[in-house]
Amino acid sequence: MIVIFEGTSQVETTVRAVLADILGLSADRVAAFTADTPLFGALPELDSMAVASVLTELEDRLGILIEDDEIDGEMLETFGALVTFAAGKALV
Amino acid sequence: MTGACFDSYDWAGGREAMLRFGPRTGPVVIAALPLFEEANRTRQFVVTILRALAAHGIGSVLPDFPGTGESLVATRDARLGHQIDAYSSLAQMLGVRTYAVSIRSGALLDTGAALAGRWHLAPQTGGDLLRDLERTRTAAMRSEPLGESGYAGNVVSRAMLTELRAATLFATHGRTRIVRLDTDPRAADRKYTGSPLWRRSEPGSDVVLAQVLAADISQWIASCED
Repeated sequence: MIVIFEGTSQVETTVRAVLADILGLSADRVAAFTADTPLFGALPELDSMAVASVLTELEDRLGILIEDDEIDGEMLETFGALVTFAAGKALV
Repeated sequence: MTGACFDSYDWAGGREAMLRFGPRTGPVVIAALPLFEEANRTRQFVVTILRALAAHGIGSVLPDFPGTGESLVATRDARLGHQIDAYSSLAQMLGVRTYAVSIRSGALLDTGAALAGRWHLAPQTGGDLLRDLERTRTAAMRSEPLGESGYAGNVVSRAMLTELRAATLFATHGRTRIVRLDTDPRAADRKYTGSPLWRRSEPGSDVVLAQVLAADISQWIASCED
């Protein structure tokens, strides 16, 4: 399976859609997310179980593999951090 | 016609309950929910699909398998091999015009049965399911290190894990139709717009998608019966 992305904006759109779908957030709410929007610890919907679902869904949609030892608080701290992490995986 | 009624079926290891929807004549669908936590997240959605199928004139059953739902077999005693056997017995009881509608890892259960066809929604291999289970367990242990061990409340035996690890192949014989969401890059016969309810943190349903999928299943069964 080969998935080709044009750039970070495509990854950002995917991350936004995954957060909306998995956490059950409205499209308006995720559309307002900026790079600085805090995620883990700030969104009550994003508990540790939901983190597992978000990462697995990102793997499926982006065709990437995330190892468990790569998962830390930093990558989930803000929307921007999560997009940067996902883009680093998807765009290599 | 769209009300459900209770029924049961027998297999070599005992008796399991099932819900029946729609007419008792004509083609019949066996709906297989995903294993473990995803079953809770998709049950209402699948029932919505089965009610819509009944409106298309297609009967269906939503069975428990040994170790799932209201089964007398405890979750810790569940074995994939027994579930596959139970599925095959049920298919045999229902007759030659029996079709599988399997959701996610539910597709691992229909592999041994004699069926007129298999319709799979976002089918998941045993390997992918194990990966999900492990990640869920890791997440749970991080947030609650002293909590009960298991997989989101499911106690899964070592024997079951071994069976799942080997369960990477779907049945390749007979007619199969694979349907996925359009956000899923893997190959499919048809893709539809929708969100993956099986991963949603709070269970939900999607009536519009359920009706679209019921129409797809209904047309596919009609094409198989021609």
